[in-house]
Amino acid sequence: MRWLRSISNRLRNLFLKDTVEREADQELRFHLEREVAQQISSGMSPEEARRVALLEFGGLEQFKEDCREARGVNRIETLLADLRYGFRTLRKSPGFAIVSVLTLALGIGANTAIFSMVNALLLHPYNFRNLDSLVRVWEDRGIDEGYDARYIAPADADDLRSSNGIFEGLTTYSFQSFGLGTEGDVQPILGCRVSANFFDVLAVTPAAGRLFSAAEEQPGADQVAIVSYGSWQRRFGGDPRLLGKTISLNGRAYTIVGIMPKDFDYPVPVELWVPLALTPAERADRTQLSLSALARLKREVSVSQASVVLAGFSHRLQQEFPKTNAGRRTTLLQLRKELYMFTLSLFLLLQAAAGFVLLLACANLANLVFARMIGRQREIALRAALGASRGRLGQLFLSETLLYSFAAGLVAIAASFASVRALRTSIPVGWTKWVPGWDGIRVDGSVLAFTILAALAVGVFLGLATMLHTSRVEPNKTLKETGTGTVTRTKRRVRSALVVAQVMIALILLVCAGQTIQGFVRLANVYQGFEPDRVLRIEISLPQKVYTDNVKITNFYQQVLRGTASLSGVQHASLVTSPPASNVDNETTFFSIEGQHALKASEMPSADLQVASPDFFDTLKIASVAGRTFSDADSDGAARVALVSRGMASRFWPKGDALGHRIKLGAADSTEPWLTIVGVVGDVRQNWWNPITRPVIYKPFAQSPQRSMTLLARTASNPISYVSAVRNVVRQMDPGIALEGINTLEEEIADSIAIVRIMGILMGIFGLVALALSSIGVYGVLSESVAQRTHEIGIRLALGADPRDLMKLILGQALKLTGIGLAIAVPCAIAISRMMASLIFGVITVDFVILCGFTALLLLVALGAGYLPARRAISVDPVVSLRYE
Amino acid sequence: MSKPTDLVQGTLDLLILKSIALGPMHGWAIAQRIRQVSKDVLQVNQGALYPALHRLEQQGWIEAEWGDSENNRRAKYYSLTKSGKKYLQREQANWERLSAAIGLVLKTV
Repeated sequence: MRWLRSISNRLRNLFLKDTVEREADQELRFHLEREVAQQISSGMSPEEARRVALLEFGGLEQFKEDCREARGVNRIETLLADLRYGFRTLRKSPGFAIVSVLTLALGIGANTAIFSMVNALLLHPYNFRNLDSLVRVWEDRGIDEGYDARYIAPADADDLRSSNGIFEGLTTYSFQSFGLGTEGDVQPILGCRVSANFFDVLAVTPAAGRLFSAAEEQPGADQVAIVSYGSWQRRFGGDPRLLGKTISLNGRAYTIVGIMPKDFDYPVPVELWVPLALTPAERADRTQLSLSALARLKREVSVSQASVVLAGFSHRLQQEFPKTNAGRRTTLLQLRKELYMFTLSLFLLLQAAAGFVLLLACANLANLVFARMIGRQREIALRAALGASRGRLGQLFLSETLLYSFAAGLVAIAASFASVRALRTSIPVGWTKWVPGWDGIRVDGSVLAFTILAALAVGVFLGLATMLHTSRVEPNKTLKETGTGTVTRTKRRVRSALVVAQVMIALILLVCAGQTIQGFVRLANVYQGFEPDRVLRIEISLPQKVYTDNVKITNFYQQVLRGTASLSGVQHASLVTSPPASNVDNETTFFSIEGQHALKASEMPSADLQVASPDFFDTLKIASVAGRTFSDADSDGAARVALVSRGMASRFWPKGDALGHRIKLGAADSTEPWLTIVGVVGDVRQNWWNPITRPVIYKPFAQSPQRSMTLLARTASNPISYVSAVRNVVRQMDPGIALEGINTLEEEIADSIAIVRIMGILMGIFGLVALALSSIGVYGVLSESVAQRTHEIGIRLALGADPRDLMKLILGQALKLTGIGLAIAVPCAIAISRMMASLIFGVITVDFVILCGFTALLLLVALGAGYLPARRAISVDPVVSLRYE
Repeated sequence: MSKPTDLVQGTLDLLILKSIALGPMHGWAIAQRIRQVSKDVLQVNQGALYPALHRLEQQGWIEAEWGDSENNRRAKYYSLTKSGKKYLQREQANWERLSAAIGLVLKTV
């Protein structure tokens, strides 16, 4: 209650100031009257009594001021006055105000933009209830082979689901490509087969319709589908009566039973989900790690407890099923952490870079403020002489710097709405569709809170720096001095330290930016082993219903190949299952080598499997290392052959005798045919994120026809100009075939590394801003110090000093400051780039050329920044500068 | 200007609170009461009295109300708040303990 009364009193003091003052006045007058009346009653004359009473009061105004202070009026009122004063001083020097606000806004805005990404991608990647209890579960051989290799065997998943007490629920899923539509109009779409409890485990409900029931997990009863919101809008035109309608997937009729909400896109943005209906044989399989699994931990179970339970579980399976499960380990990872592996290092780096830019902006502004303080030293001294306490002066400057930083924060918020939108839309959808939460990048409450906090921190930092700077004003000395105020040694040292820090930060940022950009360039060249220029790529998917057997498929593709190859300007035309930079991993397969021990399923070697037509290697100019490539003679009836990549040949036949050996896909005792290795071809890097070049087995298309293939054509000129001709060729064969993914291979590669490019661009911008800010900083401090020494320089010149010596003196000062900064920064930069190198995909390496280059650049900039003020100083007529005050 | 020390300030607060413990009183009367009760030993200067009153009001120990004085003029009457009463008891006990202790020291040494 007491504090309530206190607050209400305070508010009354603030807002009813006049009333409160009048009342206080009245109270005093009453007291005075009583005093006078008393004196009169004791026999004094009225005039005399009044004089005595007034005397007793002392200074009436001082007395009122004491009362005001006792009411606590001053603190709030003076703060308001200070803010008003700060606003007036800012308005008086608009140039300074604009420069400082814009510099800060740039720094704060950069941080806001990056934080909006961090906020959406790292802090809120998915909207799932209790995200931290969701874990991915998979089996491996003791080594996590990364995101693309986290699978579990169906029977193991079933055991895990039924036998443990740690999961609230465990669900499995696997991706599947579908041909959507009926004869003549089939579109390839990506779908996901999910267990019936998939959505329950994620705790999501459909926007319309229902989820799958357990009965629909049975083969035969599984012809129901739930479509994504985006698919509903795009594919089905937002049809309000979509529920209950039937669609055709791979020639089977599916009934649509549900539509998911807009923001649901797990595991990746797929178009629809269908029940994962496994046959009893598939369900009992322990050999193939074929399913992805996701589980929700029970509320009381921690991740480490769950790991222990899973270790026991895999041990039991190893004992029970040694043939399939020997050496297999079940392991788990929080869903959030799985995402972090892609994005954490990237965004921490960007956020750190943005933070550095803000620091630079602060250092610059601090220098500007200090320069102004020197100009205002007499004012400060005068205030101190009139009785302003240190705290009172500090409050004055703090409110001034808070004003800049809040103005800057406002500008930054306004700008961030635009910059955040630019960030979100500037990256091709082709890449960002794989990044959960990307569409959630926006300026929301937490981003605004972040901006406001940043602005506040900056204001307080600058205010404290200014207070430090003014704390040792000696009014006596300063007021006695004529001319401009002098700068004490400590103050000059503070400003020099700021320059040193700026040079440091600039070098570190520039080196990081340089290395990121270099990494990007290197990534662009990462796709080696083939030539991507002038190659057209088109994805074709044949409907199952029409192309029922291999003869039809082979016929179609061979006609298309022939037609495309005969177009004038097309040099080579070929087919492949997955061209490089498709951002999708190749199908992998286990294989056996003839003559080697039959291995347990869990120990069989694996390789990527590609199916290619004869001209594929010529189309992409992939080198033939040994033997031959495919020819038209490798037809369906001919002897079964295969090609292997150079890496695979040297790994499994280190003596270089791969040719002539026979391999079989799958176990040695399976019914698959033996394939004779007839040639070795060069290694091709499939996707940039995978630093390992995987072993690859190529099968001839004629011996292993597939419905979905990518058509590649090497052309004489711009590949896009051939699209309509190729479309005609396909249309003549079958007008119902849709062409997808039409692009040049070069564009596709550029798109696939978009995230690194964006990072490179952002880092480049930060680096340039850093360079600009630090050169302004160096220039500002030097020109200031030269300006203060104009008088001294004039005397020196008048006494016959050599202008060149003076020039050397000033440039020497510039070099000294920069040199100290660089000396500290170089080891830091090396350490940070080492860290980056280990963080980011191995594409970034510590590069001493970049390091030396930017060090030299900064030295040059410092020389330039010193040269201008130095020249101005020595070109001044000594007579003028001697008069200069 | 030198500020009153804490001891003096605290003492004045105590005297004011005690004076208005019996009923609402205006500033002049408080000064008179303290002077009379202390038999003219304690002369409260109005330069200290009013700031102290405003501060106590600000802190919520006392509250003020305008009323008519004995000579029919408007005057500001101060009275104790609930928390002010407790505060007075506490402070009075403290003061008695302190003065008794000081008395002991002065007697024996």
